[in-house]
Amino acid sequence: MASRWTRLVLMSLMFLGLQTTILNDMRPFSVMIPVMLLFAVTAGTLYGSEVGAISGLIVGVMYDCVLSTPLGLASLVFGAAAYVAGLLPFFVREPTWWTRAIAIGVVGAVGELVFPLAQSMVGLNGHFQPHVVGVFVFVTVIGMLIAPLLLPVCRWTLKESIVG
Amino acid sequence: MKSRRIMALLVLTSIILVTLDLQGSAATKSLRSIFGTVFRPVESVARVVTRPATNAWFGITHYNDVTAENELLREKIAQQEGAAVAAAASVRLSQELLALNGLPTLAGINSVSAQVIGDSPSNFVQSVEIDQGTESGIKVGMPVLNAAGLVGKITQVFSNRAVVMLITDPQYALSVKIINAPKTTATTVPGGDPASEVTIVSVPETIDPQITVPTVPATSNIPGFTPGTTVAPRTPIISSSLTIPPGTNISVRETGILEGRGAGRVPTVRFVDAAQRFGVVQPGSPIVTAGGSLSLAPPDIVVGTVSRVKERLGTAGPLLEIDIVADLSNLSFVRILLYQPITERTAP
Repeated sequence: MASRWTRLVLMSLMFLGLQTTILNDMRPFSVMIPVMLLFAVTAGTLYGSEVGAISGLIVGVMYDCVLSTPLGLASLVFGAAAYVAGLLPFFVREPTWWTRAIAIGVVGAVGELVFPLAQSMVGLNGHFQPHVVGVFVFVTVIGMLIAPLLLPVCRWTLKESIVG
Repeated sequence: MKSRRIMALLVLTSIILVTLDLQGSAATKSLRSIFGTVFRPVESVARVVTRPATNAWFGITHYNDVTAENELLREKIAQQEGAAVAAAASVRLSQELLALNGLPTLAGINSVSAQVIGDSPSNFVQSVEIDQGTESGIKVGMPVLNAAGLVGKITQVFSNRAVVMLITDPQYALSVKIINAPKTTATTVPGGDPASEVTIVSVPETIDPQITVPTVPATSNIPGFTPGTTVAPRTPIISSSLTIPPGTNISVRETGILEGRGAGRVPTVRFVDAAQRFGVVQPGSPIVTAGGSLSLAPPDIVVGTVSRVKERLGTAGPLLEIDIVADLSNLSFVRILLYQPITERTAP
């Protein structure tokens, strides 16, 4: 049986395939659904900060490889977002599926906003524009909507196995 | 405590990766290249599987636009068929003249055609990926065109693919020329019948046809090249005379810097000198690349037209909003000029 990290890499490859094809073409309100980021954040809400941060790092590095931004930027943002999402039990004692959905939407949107901020930190200025407000609102809503789909997928992907 | 250590490790790993990549490390380049090779089949499968859904989405959201655009294009094609023949002849003449005077032309630069195989999967990066790379002679910095005009420049190259930064990306900047039509004066001769009014469009206001303009030898630096008609015979004296023939409309040019502004926003041109001779920039004036030894592209590649002029106070000059001629949202095939700017060349 494959370890949770092997499953994570394979599942991330599949999500990356969706991200670079259908989700890249279908942009409602001119905003792309950042499914990779939302997947990393889901890992954080389900399995806590530590697993979230590592998952975010792995998913982020894979995403970095198809972007033209410096390698490590997305992994930093995804890892940090998943880490923050893992702090959910500090705010909600026993998180239910819908509190997790809200957390995925909000943290995912904040993570998406942090990305242009991180870009400006390495000298790639000019991406923080009024457009980001629309991105924030859209990603929050879409994150909450697709969270019920991401939660079982992520739960299966990162479940403890004999090897893992 | 363990959680903090993991977070610190995450930040450290990411910073090391960013630093290595910004330093142009071969390890990060190899990582991207290997991942690209592994991921390519996955992406191809995903594209095939999701194509019906993508097509359905485009069918739902863009059907009316496509129908309207189709009708408009048919009409435009009919209009432009005749104009294209005349334009092709003009371009050929222009290139012959430039070649005759030893000036660089686009025709003298080799190019490679490539297919666009993907967009940037991000909300904040304006780039596309093409299916040609170093094996075809492509290098970082080379300008990319399509049939309409300038599209962007190469920013990353792999063996058989490359990434093109589009001219709408905020990181993109390029020196351009604005070709402004000269101001003309219109004289209306009033008559009894309004239909019989005659409008005479005379010579450019900024150039007096009666004045013989003395020139410095700079105009005769190019052997055999004489703009207009030289009245005075060529003599050893330093100043010669140049007469602009009446009725000739000479376009005046001014340079500026074109800058991308991100998704959904048109690029702008700044640092346009508000010179008296140049006059007021008119919407619709064409924008072409300026060229020059430090420029990112050779001269006279069409970029777009001025869509809006924002006047600014002081010496800032006007800010021009540009309608790009290339449709960046629908790129299929592009042409890469095998011209690497000096500024993009790396030390061997």
